[in-house]
Amino acid sequence: MSLKSERRGIHVDQSELLCKKGCGYYGNPGWQGFCSKCWREEYQKARQKQIQEDWELAERLQREEEEAYASTQHPQGAQSLTFSKFEEKKTNEKSRKVTTVKKFFGASSRAGSKKVLAGKLREVQETKAASPISRQVSVETDRVSKDFIEFLKPYHKAGQEIYKQCKLFLEAMHHKRELSIEEQSEYTQDFYQNVADKLHARWKVPPEKVEMAMDQIEKYIMTRLYKHVFCPETTEDEKKDLAVQRRIRALHWVTPQMLCVPVNEEIPEVSDVVVKAITDIIEMDSKRVPRDKLACITSCSKHIFTAIRTTKDEPASADDFLPTLIYIVLKGNPPRLQSNIQYITRFCNPSRLMTGEDGYYFTNLCCAVAFIEKLDAQSLNLSQEDFDRYMSGQASPKKQEAENWSADMCVGVRQMYRNLDLLSQLNEQQERIMNEAKKLERDLIDWTDGVAKEVQEIVEKYPLEIKPPNPALAAIDSENVENDKLPPPLQPQVYAG
Amino acid sequence: MAQRTGWTEQASSCRDASCPKGSSHIFKVVLLGSSSVGKTSLAYRYVKKDFQDSLPTVGCSFFNQCVTLDAATIKLEIWDTAGQEKYHSVCHLYYRGANAALLVYDITKKESLEKAKVWLSELEKEFLQDEIIIILVGNKLDLSEEREVTVQEAKEFAKTKCILHMETSAKSDVQVTELFMTLACELLKRKEEQLQATHWKKSRINLQETTSHRAKCCQI
Ligand SMILES: Nc1nc2c(ncn2[C@@H]2O[C@H](COP(=O)(O)OP(=O)(O)O)[C@@H](O)[C@H]2O)c(=O)[nH]1
Ligand SMILES: [Mg+2]
Ligand SMILES: [Zn+2]
Repeated sequence: MSLKSERRGIHVDQSELLCKKGCGYYGNPGWQGFCSKCWREEYQKARQKQIQEDWELAERLQREEEEAYASTQHPQGAQSLTFSKFEEKKTNEKSRKVTTVKKFFGASSRAGSKKVLAGKLREVQETKAASPISRQVSVETDRVSKDFIEFLKPYHKAGQEIYKQCKLFLEAMHHKRELSIEEQSEYTQDFYQNVADKLHARWKVPPEKVEMAMDQIEKYIMTRLYKHVFCPETTEDEKKDLAVQRRIRALHWVTPQMLCVPVNEEIPEVSDVVVKAITDIIEMDSKRVPRDKLACITSCSKHIFTAIRTTKDEPASADDFLPTLIYIVLKGNPPRLQSNIQYITRFCNPSRLMTGEDGYYFTNLCCAVAFIEKLDAQSLNLSQEDFDRYMSGQASPKKQEAENWSADMCVGVRQMYRNLDLLSQLNEQQERIMNEAKKLERDLIDWTDGVAKEVQEIVEKYPLEIKPPNPALAAIDSENVENDKLPPPLQPQVYAG
Repeated sequence: MAQRTGWTEQASSCRDASCPKGSSHIFKVVLLGSSSVGKTSLAYRYVKKDFQDSLPTVGCSFFNQCVTLDAATIKLEIWDTAGQEKYHSVCHLYYRGANAALLVYDITKKESLEKAKVWLSELEKEFLQDEIIIILVGNKLDLSEEREVTVQEAKEFAKTKCILHMETSAKSDVQVTELFMTLACELLKRKEEQLQATHWKKSRINLQETTSHRAKCCQI
């Protein structure tokens, strides 16, 4: 299409060319009459709200992480991993913002030319697709719609029919927003089943194509519905998310040995795939389409199998897989775990959940989360006392097993752990010194008190009385009364002999 | 968690590239039983036709196998489960939506049969009689001199519960293929019966049946 030449041929009034905001620059129909700068501002405003919400959630979670971090004496690897993950999420958000802005300009400049090409049917069709129930134009949604229409083209009549059904469904869902999430889920599931039946029976689409079409339909409708049906306010989903997150944090001390995880992270290849598995399971939260979320779980599971195979040098079985998945979930503490599980359960195409590898791994994830929620001393082969002490943070089993944990850490982190260990030792010593000093102080006080008391007692027992002087004694020196009565002192006599 | 349970037809086709025909019936089969009774070995033996004594637990945990019967080609999707006692409380999630369950015990260990009975009672809570096919499988037939569970005892128990019973050896490949063929035939038979029963009904009604059952399951 030679859009440029056609656009050039149109004469427009000068005032129409100026930015609608009146900033003095030229506007562009592609930017709905704004100049690029003002349009960016307008667009940003709408986008900002969504981004703000995501940021707030991420920040709130991070704050909580930090609080928990501060309250535990020995910060763990699992937590630091979650930290960096949130950072990553934020940067992702930023970069996504940039690319979506670009995409938007690309898409909207074409949308603007629609006025010019009003007669062209294909464009009209696209406009319809791009303006669904919600008036807010989201770029990603827009792209998904276009892909969907492209996908449906080879289906001809059936394709149009599918498209119509989807639109009707979305319209109906719009009016069901007030209903409970379970009713909305039910309605969606019925829709999947209906469309699949129709594809099969009425439109005679071959089985392998039905599958593909169902995936595309799910992608199309769920991209649109996601905002309204993921972790809706009417449910307890968010509360459960936080509960699970807190629970996992409280279990930070659980070691691979306790869970009998057949994965040795000291092998570099193994620790690499463990990190990949954790990344995948955390990634799940960023996807909008249930099937894309499932794909993250499957990819995570595949990495787990690789880790087990590399460690044990033999293929993994269910007995190995589930504990390792539990360990990965504990280590990764994926954001909004319950919301994601609920969302997938409610809105995924049921044939994907009930059967197939994706369904199998998803079920295992549900098992892992259920296990973590119920986990007790017995399931870790610990005594109840030990379990309670670890849970309350009074003791940490990792002190003895520090080497096992530091295997997957870089030198700096390991050094940090060593320093932390040293610090905690110093801390202990200082505490001991303080205690001794206090004891000494107490002893001193006790001693003075004791002495004072003893003195007091003696003083009480033998009161100091100052009696008047004895006259008889006193007279000895003062008046030598009887002096002259004494015989005269003996005189030395010489005896001549 | 709301999931469709019961005898639902999986509308999808066989995704396995190795399956020539692309069977349109997929059945989910779960392997249940205590640790080390030979669940993984059975699945692995059937799918890979291989058994290595040196490997205690082999293969992966999820298997696909297409079975061609006279009437049709069906696909069995075999879900292996973690058998350790500590995971027992979460294992009910595995058999949601299953079409069949193999309750495996070790004929040389009496308590493994007792455990299978516990599994059965749990399955009975989740499923109606005609919603799932259950086979009680006594494995390690090659160790019959150390047998603790007699054939009679197991057969009688199975009879009272209206489930099938078979004995196998994953190690010596005795009755393993037969086990899965029996299962496949039963699955197909059950499916055809059901289709017949609802022949005049439209799929719409079928749908409502599963829906109402789902509602029931959620309350448990
Ligand atoms: N003798 C004998 N050993 C078996 C048989 N099946 C499995 N085993 C062994 O029993 C152990 C446990 O098997 P596994 O398949 O891992 O059991 P699972 O825990 O139920 O999956 C392994 O050492 C197998 O080699 C069998 O039919 N006969
Ligand atoms: Mg096993
Ligand atoms: Zn402007």
